[in-house]
Amino acid sequence: MTTSLANQAWDACSSALQFDQYLAGELDPPDAERFRAHVDDCARCTSALNELRSGAKERLPPLRVVPFPPRSRFPIRALAAAAGIVAAASLLLVVRSPGTRSKGTGFTLGMYVEHQGEVRRAGPGETVAPGDAVRFAVSAPVDVFVAVLSLDANGHGSIYFPAGGRAERVQAGNDVALPLGTRLDATAGEERILGLFCASPVELEPLRLQLERGGPEIPDGCQVTRWSFVKR
Amino acid sequence: MSLDAGAIERLYRSHGHIVLRRARALLGSEEDAQEALQEVFASLLRAPHSLRNATSVVGWLYQSTTHFCLNQLRNRRTGARLLQSSVAPAPAHVAGRGGEVLAELRRVLSRLPADVAAATVYHHLDGMTHAEVAGLLGCSRRKVGYLLERAQRSLALLEQSA
Repeated sequence: MTTSLANQAWDACSSALQFDQYLAGELDPPDAERFRAHVDDCARCTSALNELRSGAKERLPPLRVVPFPPRSRFPIRALAAAAGIVAAASLLLVVRSPGTRSKGTGFTLGMYVEHQGEVRRAGPGETVAPGDAVRFAVSAPVDVFVAVLSLDANGHGSIYFPAGGRAERVQAGNDVALPLGTRLDATAGEERILGLFCASPVELEPLRLQLERGGPEIPDGCQVTRWSFVKR
Repeated sequence: MSLDAGAIERLYRSHGHIVLRRARALLGSEEDAQEALQEVFASLLRAPHSLRNATSVVGWLYQSTTHFCLNQLRNRRTGARLLQSSVAPAPAHVAGRGGEVLAELRRVLSRLPADVAAATVYHHLDGMTHAEVAGLLGCSRRKVGYLLERAQRSLALLEQSA
């Protein structure tokens, strides 16, 4: 095995799984007793156990998945209706993590940033640098027409995706990378991103112009996702 | 074993640290590890019956975390490859200053087939015996030996080509 793997290896006489099962009370009493007896006589295992116990005290953030009552009060989105999605399936509201913005029925927009050779998944408000490359990825339960627009700190609107003048069809899937990446220019400041998920290939130039004037008005049959990053 | 939302919330409080610890080790990123923590329990809320046949909640969390994290590593690799293949060349002052995209270990895991990568993680990083790995993967110990042998060969090839 490579040196890197050896360096990462769990360093105790029993596996990490067995330690966790012991702490969770999952071992049978005789096995737990044998485990305890060994740990008492083994400095390395005592240290591992103490470390796990210490880690178990860490305060976790709230669980971001909120159980819903079976009958949702939330309206069926126009796109969901067009796509034939049954709203009754929405028993859970998932508050998505940073790096993914979603609205409605499972359409999400993620962004990857390449900075000096390293690629990371970006979150809203991410700080990026001129020359960084960005690429968007979408997750969608059904095929959908997608566009990504931006408004930079100087008020200039751009269409990041697609290259043509209309929203482009993207197949259903998880984290499907859009086929165009962008190398960021030198305009510093906050850049606002608008992701559109539409039931039809909407015209984008009017939306770009509206974006520059403080809009846009979201076309019927579209959902919008907004976030921003800061270039400095 | 099938849990209601309240029980899953309690499980999150009592066992979430296991997911977080392993996700940190596998992904090497606090933000991604927090994402893994949320996603593992979100998947349980969406499909609580997935625990029905589990003999160990801890074992199920190990499987679920490993599966999610290895997918994340593969997605990172895909993202990196797509960026390199489809983005216009970087300006001269930016190109060439880059370091490695991922740490060696994560890069290696992202290149292995899913079952080989999972066996590698369980055996080499979690210190599991072949029997424990077989229990989590739902296969024979002989199969585990075969998967680990494949991992060794793949790693040797990757090291030669590096």
